[in-house]
Amino acid sequence: MNTRSPRWIPYLVGSVALIWIIPILGIVVLSIRPLSETTLGWWQVDELSFTLNAWKVVWDKYPLAQAFWVSVKITTLATLIPVLLAPAGAYAFHFLKFRFRRVLLIIIINAFVLPNQLVVIPLFRLWRELGLIDNIWAVIIPSAGLSFAWAVFLVKNYLEDFPKELIEAATVDGCGPIGRFFHIVLPNSLTPIAAVAILQFLWTWNGLLLPIVFLRSEIPLTALLARIQGVYDLNWDQVSVVAIVTTIVPLIIFIVFQRYFTSAASNRSGSKE
Amino acid sequence: MVSGTLDRNSTGEALPGRITQMGGGSHKRATSRKWAWNDTTAAWILITPLLIFFVISVIYPLFETFRLSFFDIRGVRAPKYVGFGNYFKLFGDPNFQSALKATFLWTFVSTAFSVAIGWGLALICSLAPRATLSFRVMIFAAYGVAEAVSGFMWIGIYRPDVGLLNSLLTTVGLEDWAHPWLGDVKTAIWALIAAYVWTQVGLPLMTCFASIQSVPRNLHEAAYIDGASPMKILRYIVMPLSLPGVRVAIFINLLASLKAFDLIFVLTGGGPIRSTETIGYFMYRESMQNFKLGYGAASTVILLLAVLVVSIPVIMKRTGEAR
Amino acid sequence: MQLFDFGFERPASLKGLIVGTVAAIGVAAGSTAALSQDASGEIVMINWLGGAQGEMMTKLQDDFVAKNPKASFRNIVPQAAGDARGGIRQIILGGEQADLLINTWPAFRKELADSGLIIPVDNVWEEQNLGDKLPDAWKNLSVLNGDNYGVTYTFGNRSGIWYQTSTLQNANIEAPTTWEEFVGGFAALQAKDITPMAIPAKVWAHAEWFESILIRTAGVETATKLANHEIPWTDPAVKTALGKWAELIEANCCRDPNTMLATAWDNAVDASLKTGDAAYVLMGMWLNTRAKVEYGKTPGTDYTIFQFPAMGMGHDNTSMVDAKEFNMLATAKNLEGSAAFMAYMLSADAAAIMADYGLASPSSDADTSLYDPVVRKSVEEVAKAEKVQFVLGDLLPGDLGGEYRVQLQKFLTDPSSNNIDQVTAAIEAVAAGAY
Repeated sequence: MNTRSPRWIPYLVGSVALIWIIPILGIVVLSIRPLSETTLGWWQVDELSFTLNAWKVVWDKYPLAQAFWVSVKITTLATLIPVLLAPAGAYAFHFLKFRFRRVLLIIIINAFVLPNQLVVIPLFRLWRELGLIDNIWAVIIPSAGLSFAWAVFLVKNYLEDFPKELIEAATVDGCGPIGRFFHIVLPNSLTPIAAVAILQFLWTWNGLLLPIVFLRSEIPLTALLARIQGVYDLNWDQVSVVAIVTTIVPLIIFIVFQRYFTSAASNRSGSKE
Repeated sequence: MVSGTLDRNSTGEALPGRITQMGGGSHKRATSRKWAWNDTTAAWILITPLLIFFVISVIYPLFETFRLSFFDIRGVRAPKYVGFGNYFKLFGDPNFQSALKATFLWTFVSTAFSVAIGWGLALICSLAPRATLSFRVMIFAAYGVAEAVSGFMWIGIYRPDVGLLNSLLTTVGLEDWAHPWLGDVKTAIWALIAAYVWTQVGLPLMTCFASIQSVPRNLHEAAYIDGASPMKILRYIVMPLSLPGVRVAIFINLLASLKAFDLIFVLTGGGPIRSTETIGYFMYRESMQNFKLGYGAASTVILLLAVLVVSIPVIMKRTGEAR
Repeated sequence: MQLFDFGFERPASLKGLIVGTVAAIGVAAGSTAALSQDASGEIVMINWLGGAQGEMMTKLQDDFVAKNPKASFRNIVPQAAGDARGGIRQIILGGEQADLLINTWPAFRKELADSGLIIPVDNVWEEQNLGDKLPDAWKNLSVLNGDNYGVTYTFGNRSGIWYQTSTLQNANIEAPTTWEEFVGGFAALQAKDITPMAIPAKVWAHAEWFESILIRTAGVETATKLANHEIPWTDPAVKTALGKWAELIEANCCRDPNTMLATAWDNAVDASLKTGDAAYVLMGMWLNTRAKVEYGKTPGTDYTIFQFPAMGMGHDNTSMVDAKEFNMLATAKNLEGSAAFMAYMLSADAAAIMADYGLASPSSDADTSLYDPVVRKSVEEVAKAEKVQFVLGDLLPGDLGGEYRVQLQKFLTDPSSNNIDQVTAAIEAVAAGAY
């Protein structure tokens, strides 16, 4: 397909990627070498041996499977909500006129700088009143709620280049504002939606503060594994295992969803026949 | 197939010709059916679910933050109302002022570099999307690793005695350049920015790339068939297409760096001698370490106001264009 | 995620007295059957220990449950990024119900007690006869306004200087006992290209040197007054201590200040106990685990400690220590179970489990023969000291602790007497508003 694309591109991007991967390579190496060899740096090769000990210790000591499942539940729900609602909001803010439109938008977007530490204490009191402590919704609701700050902005931004003619044509065909959203805008916004899904998945999956404060019996991977590192013993081999285990899932999601960057394109061109 | 379309839409909008005609010719038929609500009703129906989540998890804590900022709170002791006392204190606090300066440098430099590198890579990758997929995943992976963990990796790189960077410099004969990067007040913030840029580049790469790819590939192909050079394609087709992604990346990187904390915490802990203490770190230190929640809240309110002042004109302008 | 550097600052002023502390140690004739009643029900513990110490606490809880099958534990884990106190306050202010809190910060104990969030344990002390196991010195340590708020279950020596035996052999010197010998040995070390001291000044660990020098030049009484701000930081005693520290720096004890400021505690320990690039490092007992597990070294033969050198200023009978204790929360429901567990923590069995992890128990029931040579030496040194002082940095309220460490960083970049004046004035300025 891209036979004409210059040959140097993969080489250039590849070398940049190699530089970028060095620290990540470090994490992998740390997880499969004994700590005593890597204390002064994972690249030291005075002694070189291979061990899966850290992987075994982490697997034996921590209920990974259960925590993994909790992570999946929380992250999936907390990702689905903005994926469904953020495009609707972005559409309303971009294409519809209503009172408080700008004020609301400004408030929503600015909420992005609110640090999680400050959200936690008031919400803790609220969840306790509502009996939501130790319920995964205690984490899902703020994870989703906080995501709108950037998710609405992200989708709206893509909508700025959305062909207005499509909207107008649909209006002419008698399609109402909500119909236009579902029939015209939503099917043509898969790219920003995929971007929202990837980012929200990544952030929720890696989120530590909310689950650690709100959950007790059912805890996700990050909260479980935060305890591996002691204050007095740093256990970097095991921490590396955890880093790999937790990072791999969002990466798979990234690989899966980034297909939509291109399929969305074919979708939009499809609509024009 | 579309070289005609290309000419007409070189600004980046791929307009379906047939629908455009319809839209242009038949505005008299524009009547709404009974089920079709007016804009206002429709808008509220669409945003209410979102607002419910938002009010619970943002507005309510925000209100609490605002309220807290009027109290003197020390640890778990009973709060004491002090009016604007925290705000007066903030403006007289030399640590807050130096944090503001550090934040300014940190935010703009790291955002500029992250976005520039990520954007550049996205532009280049878009010319060979398939061949570069695995490399994009590798770069994005850096964004996926928790900052605390990548911070640890960077400590290994910057360590003064056996760090990777100093070892490399010594190996290639530049031992004079070897330096305690994180211990020198002059270099610490730059070393920190370099590490932070490393973690952040994945985001602009993804959003810009997504933005470029969201437009029919036919455009590129048509341009290739017409014999345009890769540089021309980049300049006239790909670059304009990538702009929404750039805007999103700037927005997210800018605001995320304002509250950045984890990496700073791991790499320097705000030091040496507070030289890398940004507002994000300041808020953490006052709220969580000193647990002066009221004081921390006041600094958050100031930060929110600052962001508001900067973002309102931008948002007003962009929403003004709506419809 | 818990990260390096923060989190281990444990102090509390405690005057004099500790003579008996560990004098009692050494006799290991504990009777384990001392628990007065069977504990039952769920005990809720705010437990921020991670890694090996977290594992140790789990073992202790399991052992307790094995002995009291009707009891069970639920741990509330605070967010522990950095200073665990932030997460603990979040939990308590959020209204969470819990019975026991692990605490290592005296200033935090005072903060909680002042707000009525923890309750005195005097009756536990009596019912469980804790006085038989824990000398009064330890009890007094947790007393505020006449009420006792804590039960100390472990302590450590913070005036021990670590070194590799091979390093000193290489330089052909003996472990110093006096300040003159200590400083005098620098030349021999430097001749072998060994940096005499590794000072990790990245965040907090550099303050250890100041604190040990302070109590050996001015006594624990001065440190206590300083902690309570009964004397200002501009006091001559502080300046003298800093001046003594400056002597070390002028004798080229360390690498350049920027390197010190870039060095975290674990890097400094690497330099001293792993690579041997540096000779001495002054730090608490937790690095024993690192040396054993990560470096694979044998305590006592490969590495050991000597107590801070005698300075001949009349205060050489002093030592810095740290400790951990249990506090009982005001929301506690299972009072009996909690009391029984606190008593269990002072039993010989609990001490044996802790010894496995390299932690010393203050209980007179503890069997010191279980300790490895380095832990035993460090325990003996604390026992020998007539007066001990809890780590000063954590006795300081609010942001004073942070300012104190930052100003000491400034001192390291310029140890001149002129800068000493500026540094002490800057700490005093913050101290004036902190009490």
